[in-house]
Amino acid sequence: MIKLIGVNKIYKNKVKVLDDVNLSVKAGEFVSVVGQSGTGKTTLVKILTGEEKVSSGKVWVGDWDITNIGKAEVPYLRRQIGVIFQDFKLLDKKTLGENISFALEVCGKSPSKIKRIVPSVMKIVGLAGKENRYPHEVSGGEQQRAAIARALVHQPKILLADEPTGNLDAINANEIIDLLLKINNFGTTIILVTHNRDVVNGLNRRVVTVDAGKIVSDRAHGKYII
Amino acid sequence: MLLSFLRILKFSLQDISRNIWLSIVTVTILILAMLSINTLILLRAISDDAVLAIKEKIDLSLYLKTDAPETTILELKSKINSMDKVRAVKYISKQNALDFFRDKNKNNPEILQAILELGKNPLSPSLVIVPKNVDMIPDLIEELRAIDNDIIESRDFSDNRTLLEKINNITKRINDVGFFIIIIFIVTSLLVVYNSIKVAIYTHKREIEIMRLVGASNAFIYLPFLFSAVIYTFVAVLIMISVSFPLLEIIQPYLEMFFVDYGINIVSYFVDNVWTIFGWQFVGIAFVNVLASYIAVSKYAKV
Repeated sequence: MIKLIGVNKIYKNKVKVLDDVNLSVKAGEFVSVVGQSGTGKTTLVKILTGEEKVSSGKVWVGDWDITNIGKAEVPYLRRQIGVIFQDFKLLDKKTLGENISFALEVCGKSPSKIKRIVPSVMKIVGLAGKENRYPHEVSGGEQQRAAIARALVHQPKILLADEPTGNLDAINANEIIDLLLKINNFGTTIILVTHNRDVVNGLNRRVVTVDAGKIVSDRAHGKYII
Repeated sequence: MLLSFLRILKFSLQDISRNIWLSIVTVTILILAMLSINTLILLRAISDDAVLAIKEKIDLSLYLKTDAPETTILELKSKINSMDKVRAVKYISKQNALDFFRDKNKNNPEILQAILELGKNPLSPSLVIVPKNVDMIPDLIEELRAIDNDIIESRDFSDNRTLLEKINNITKRINDVGFFIIIIFIVTSLLVVYNSIKVAIYTHKREIEIMRLVGASNAFIYLPFLFSAVIYTFVAVLIMISVSFPLLEIIQPYLEMFFVDYGINIVSYFVDNVWTIFGWQFVGIAFVNVLASYIAVSKYAKV
């Protein structure tokens, strides 16, 4: 599903953030990528969403070689990979319903399809009835649920979660992780980037540990080891 | 295609209405920019009209002998009228000249009394010659000097030459300086507009990044902002038009009082040129707005 071979990423200031990263993720897996801040986890997410390009190496998403993806192709890649972030990245001036339907509108989905999909994903993430609330009118946990719903509307095969519990309290964080597990059970590959030890240890799934830009550990039923 | 267009329009209108204060500020800045441009256009129109009116008032006079026969005078009038550089010739009879003189000095009883005491009309008949174009005056003067006719007593050209030189100097200065000022005004206004739009879009920085992240294509990211830029300009121009005419109606009587007999009418000037004046302002400002929006969005849409 996802394959990185010999990936190096060096920024313009000559800082090497990824150093010979080799990673393979199968369809339907739930993988936690852990490591301390500044170890290159977020850069990894940015490479997978086409936000950054590798300095060397190869990157595949499914059968698509995105190593040198063109600017015009990036929107199509992002419609196939759902992404959620620590700061939710919802549009403040749009309601939760509008935020979710926006992702469908921008890729030309018909109004009837949008009317059908949006309530169903909102129901899946537990936001039924809150379509007309603005982001500032709901809790952080609900905002993250809306972000997940937005990521799910394209029925992506991969969901990248970059520190999704970073701004949430323990209860909301657990609810979000439960929701990610539920989505994973539907067959979606989940890549969870986090440095939340409790979350990772509670999952008992595959854990990839990154340190100073290198993968230092990759265990099928791992724990947070750093 | 139509669906995408309608969605882009919807996003644009949603953005304008949900950021209403920012929209109001942007439109206000556009109106202020247009106000400065229109003030300059107004001043230019007034100065052009005033100069034209002064030029219209320039004429040349041939004073004739008091005993010149009417038929000879009319022959001379006809001869001058047929000259290429002459637009009109007016014959002022002795009686007309006296009537003008009395009217001009109606508040000066001493002069009127002196005329009465003379017992006869001391004024000469004259021919007042209006040139087709003020630039032709020097040549026309030469032609008038060349007319050899016994009934001509004197020729009055000297004052007009000085006045003409002054007017030509003023016109030249207005043209030189006015053009320069207009360019400065327009550039300044457009820079203000350009920066306002860039600042307005800066507040959408996060929104643009999010649009990119959810897979919005360039059209969906750029076009709502470009549409908004055109809508802001359209609204500003409409407000400007609806405010300008009542303002001009208020100013017009004061101008008429100041420029008595000059026939300056700024209302009709703006009415006659409404599409040119506001049409070009719309095109120019919309172009700058769209350009500023495009540059600003590009800056934040790189994600």
